[in-house]
Amino acid sequence: MLLPVNSKCECGHQNAVGTVLCEACGKPLEEQLMKSNEPLEMRYDGVARRSQKANPDFLDKIWNFFSSVKIAIYLIIITFLGAMLGTIFPQASTFISATFNPKVYYSEQYGLAGEIYYFLGLHNTYSSWWFITLLVMIGTSLVICSIDRVLPLYRALNKQQIRKHHAFLKRQKATYSGQVTDEPVQWTKQYGEALKKKGYKVHIDESGTALLAEKNRFSRWGPYINHIGLILFLLAVLARSIPDWNVDTYVSITDGDTVPIVGTNYYVKSDGFSMELYDNDELPIELKDSGRVKTFKTDVVLYECAANCGDDFLQPELQEVKQHTILVNDPLRYKELKLHQFDFNLTPRINAVSPMIINKETGESYGPFHLTMVDPELYYEVGPYSMELIDKYMDFSINSEGEPITLSSSPNAPAFIFNIKGPNLAEDGEMFMYFPLEKDKVRFSQDTINRELANKLEIKVDGMENVDFSAATTYLNVRIDKAVKFLWIGAFFSMLGLIMGTYWQHRRIWLRIDDNQLTLGAHTNKNWFGLRADAAYALKRCGIELDPKSLDNGGHKG
Amino acid sequence: MNWLDFSSSSFIAAFFLYVFAFIFYMVAVAGKKWGKRDAKQHEARWSKIAFITSSLGLLAHLSFFFTRWIGSGQIPTSNMYEFITLLGMTIMIAYTIIHFIYKKPLLGMFALPLTIIIIAYASVFPQEVQPLIPALQSNWLKIHVTMAALGEAFFAVGFAAGLMYLLRVIDYNDHTKKGKRAQRWLEFTLISIFIVIGFIVAAFGFKGAGYVAQFQQETVDVSQVGELTTSYDVVEYTMPPIFKPYNSEALQVTEFLGMTDGLFETPSWFNGVNSGRKLNTVVWSIIVGLILYGIIRLIIRKPLGAAIHPKLEGIDPDDLDEISYRAIVIGFPIFTLGALIFAMIWAEIAWGRFWGWDPKEVWALITWLYYSAYLHFRLSRGWHGRPSAWLAVIGFVIVLFTLVGVNLLIAGMHSYAGVD
Amino acid sequence: MGKNRKKVQIIVLLFAFVIGGYAIFQTFTNDTPGTIKEGQAVPDFRLANLQGEPISLQDYNGSPLVINFWGTFCEPCIREMPSFERQYEEWKDKGVEVVAINLSEDTLTVSNYVKKLGVTYTILRDVDRKTEKKYGLRSYPTTFFVNPNGTLSSVFVGEMKESQIHEHIEKIVGG
Repeated sequence: MLLPVNSKCECGHQNAVGTVLCEACGKPLEEQLMKSNEPLEMRYDGVARRSQKANPDFLDKIWNFFSSVKIAIYLIIITFLGAMLGTIFPQASTFISATFNPKVYYSEQYGLAGEIYYFLGLHNTYSSWWFITLLVMIGTSLVICSIDRVLPLYRALNKQQIRKHHAFLKRQKATYSGQVTDEPVQWTKQYGEALKKKGYKVHIDESGTALLAEKNRFSRWGPYINHIGLILFLLAVLARSIPDWNVDTYVSITDGDTVPIVGTNYYVKSDGFSMELYDNDELPIELKDSGRVKTFKTDVVLYECAANCGDDFLQPELQEVKQHTILVNDPLRYKELKLHQFDFNLTPRINAVSPMIINKETGESYGPFHLTMVDPELYYEVGPYSMELIDKYMDFSINSEGEPITLSSSPNAPAFIFNIKGPNLAEDGEMFMYFPLEKDKVRFSQDTINRELANKLEIKVDGMENVDFSAATTYLNVRIDKAVKFLWIGAFFSMLGLIMGTYWQHRRIWLRIDDNQLTLGAHTNKNWFGLRADAAYALKRCGIELDPKSLDNGGHKG
Repeated sequence: MNWLDFSSSSFIAAFFLYVFAFIFYMVAVAGKKWGKRDAKQHEARWSKIAFITSSLGLLAHLSFFFTRWIGSGQIPTSNMYEFITLLGMTIMIAYTIIHFIYKKPLLGMFALPLTIIIIAYASVFPQEVQPLIPALQSNWLKIHVTMAALGEAFFAVGFAAGLMYLLRVIDYNDHTKKGKRAQRWLEFTLISIFIVIGFIVAAFGFKGAGYVAQFQQETVDVSQVGELTTSYDVVEYTMPPIFKPYNSEALQVTEFLGMTDGLFETPSWFNGVNSGRKLNTVVWSIIVGLILYGIIRLIIRKPLGAAIHPKLEGIDPDDLDEISYRAIVIGFPIFTLGALIFAMIWAEIAWGRFWGWDPKEVWALITWLYYSAYLHFRLSRGWHGRPSAWLAVIGFVIVLFTLVGVNLLIAGMHSYAGVD
Repeated sequence: MGKNRKKVQIIVLLFAFVIGGYAIFQTFTNDTPGTIKEGQAVPDFRLANLQGEPISLQDYNGSPLVINFWGTFCEPCIREMPSFERQYEEWKDKGVEVVAINLSEDTLTVSNYVKKLGVTYTILRDVDRKTEKKYGLRSYPTTFFVNPNGTLSSVFVGEMKESQIHEHIEKIVGG
């Protein structure tokens, strides 16, 4: 376009190229627009917008793409349709076992449909490249849509002229023309007062016969604040992938143990897990005896390592920093660390026994002596006996070759082999195998193993008070999330903007009286019903009674 | 005074008051042409009576809610029965608010049956108070669930207004392809509502008759490492078994119309112990719903939409369009705050993560994205009126899927207790 | 904004490209958190040997190193130890070091077993499962082959045949 375009309005104001309605008086500028009688498109008050400029270059084309509301809607639709796909079968992320094999699982459990699901990568829908791409595009669209619109809007609303062109007023979506018999300046003032009662800010020009009443301009900024909030929210979500910004691991602690939280300087001790079920009289009929849980909690102590922390050779020095009872809805919080109650296991674990040695020939018993499952003492003097611990197994069993082995490092079936010296025993001592747990004693025929020695002596625990065991193991979820506070800030602004923009509407009413001819036009971004009611109310107070609907000029929608 | 008994009585009172309000709305519309009445006056008078009745119903419903709270010591929002009755109550609250803004009584003619159907649906589920499991023992239960229900209630009112708009605007004299297609989709929507009614009728009917059937099902399950394990489960049916569970044997079947065993077997690719029973229930709902619809169709001798259409002639369709939009606009921030933001805060506290892509969470997000698309659509001209009304109708289907469909069809952390 | 329009467009689109690119790139790096990637430096440790003396990773700087995690309760771990012993004999003149870190078991259990097996390479004792967690172990046995500069050459999960051990050691010696 080499010819210069005349953009100076008849009111004298020079408008930027591309302006639809004169920035000063509102007169429609484009040829086509001037001739038609259609209600005016009042977006951004008709101000020129960057993305509407002629001759877009490559950068402009990308910008226009992301600035388009239509594209944004398509992105939203594709995103939620994609999200639906992820709910057809359970996502792979719901299986936290280390041995989970997705390929096998989906095809075995769901057949062909499962195989296809796995093949398309849908078992990881929400972390797939295409889903993230959609979110990135929505984020970009949020930024560009907003920048493109908020500045022209601000410019348009910041400097508004009071006396508008007749064409502007008559072609608003709510309009009224009529005669006014009273004195115009007086009438205008009265109209302004009526609207002031409805909360409008009223401006009257020097002539006294033109008026602009405006209410709730702030609500126009609502959508932009909302978008800023959403952008911050998305950025916070992304920030969690920064190393160390998001820790999500589990620790399992058996009652009484202190375990390190790997990757941090913290240690946590479980002072005991406990679970309470509802009594039958607290439950309705169909739930009786169902074992419904009432509470489960873990009493923990949190320690911070003060010295020897990176070193596993030396014992770390621990300082207690916090004590807490962790409930499902009440995690432990310390600085940026959180420990949540995740799961539990009621399998007891034996820690130590304090048995007596009984001389079966004399009937006397000696002891008790303290025998721990983990790292026990190697020498014991109990009465006339002296015992040397030769070997031990945590989880005793016999393998296919008949050799003794241990199945695990947990004391599920502890076994101890002592070399015992004492009364009526060989000089060099005799081997005695001891199973602290009765079930193992029977299972492995302890007496048969010990042969004649079993007739001479017995090692026995006297009563449950001499058994030290942990009743339960608690599983805690360890969480450090440095990005989550930004997430809440983003959510807050999003809500704030949403509330500002939806529960209030920006309303403007212009009027001018020329001789005795009143021309009135009104505009709002939503809720024309309410706007018409306001305009009609003020007219009524000035002596013109009419049905608000009659002000409608194509603005009845929305 | 036994609070829980009083609560149950209040509920029944609310139900009947809603039914009467609905009848009064019908009288207001249908009776306009009776005898020598002044149509406008008649409509205004009966609408007022209907509104007062529905408000009394709402008071009774609120009393049900609060007395149940006092009687059980916990807010009644923790299982399916309680949540869906809450939804019915919030729909009436949303309706009452919209009524005060717009004063269009005929909206009540659709909002009330919607509420009635919803609380009747709720009544199918176990009603006893169930003490809270640890995950629900939090103040957030009070805030998250009630706000989400309120937001969804406004979407429901938007649905009702949108449906009314379509009934008002779709021209049954239009025999073009486009016109016929619109009529058919509208009729399909109405039939779907009948299927929900069919479910309620079938559930209450068979339960009332004490129908019972039991099957033992053998299932082979796959563990996370690919190991196969076999298990045996007993599945109980409360409706005659058109579809018995896959790979099952009848233990006990009450006879119905000559049926003493399952007619068909649920296909093997249906997953879960209860999938056979659910399929059976759905099939029964469809059958009973279609029978009910068929009876009505025989009586009125034309499509249901065509019969309702003339009754709505007195309403300005643009008002309906406006009401539908406004309801959704009012509900959207409430839904955002209650169903998403408070949900995320609570999830962070209870489970350590604010979002886990749990099916319920995902569908709440889908609902949110859908209505957000709806609101952006309204920014363009040409998307008012019919397209907008259809979107409002479909939107509520998505809401219902989030509330009910996810629990029924998909497992997850969010499954409500007492879901059958 | 007019004249600065182009600048703003470029800045915004650039940001979107970079941040968005980073986000999408993340979806392709799908390794489980905590695993050590090849070429990365292996985590540090300082553990006691059977004589109670401290040995740390630094002590092996400059030598090709084989780190084998084992426990007496792990049958495949026990089965493969003779193979590791033989390979240690074969390669020790070339400077290859072998270290077997026991999975936090008792002193008595470990020393008895080692006596039985008669291995000559260094046995270290992990404490509280800390080292195995640092190394991101998910199952046993797991063996790490470390370059002389302390970076990971390869990791093998499961029981190893002698020929496989040989292959992996070749890579850290060849270098």
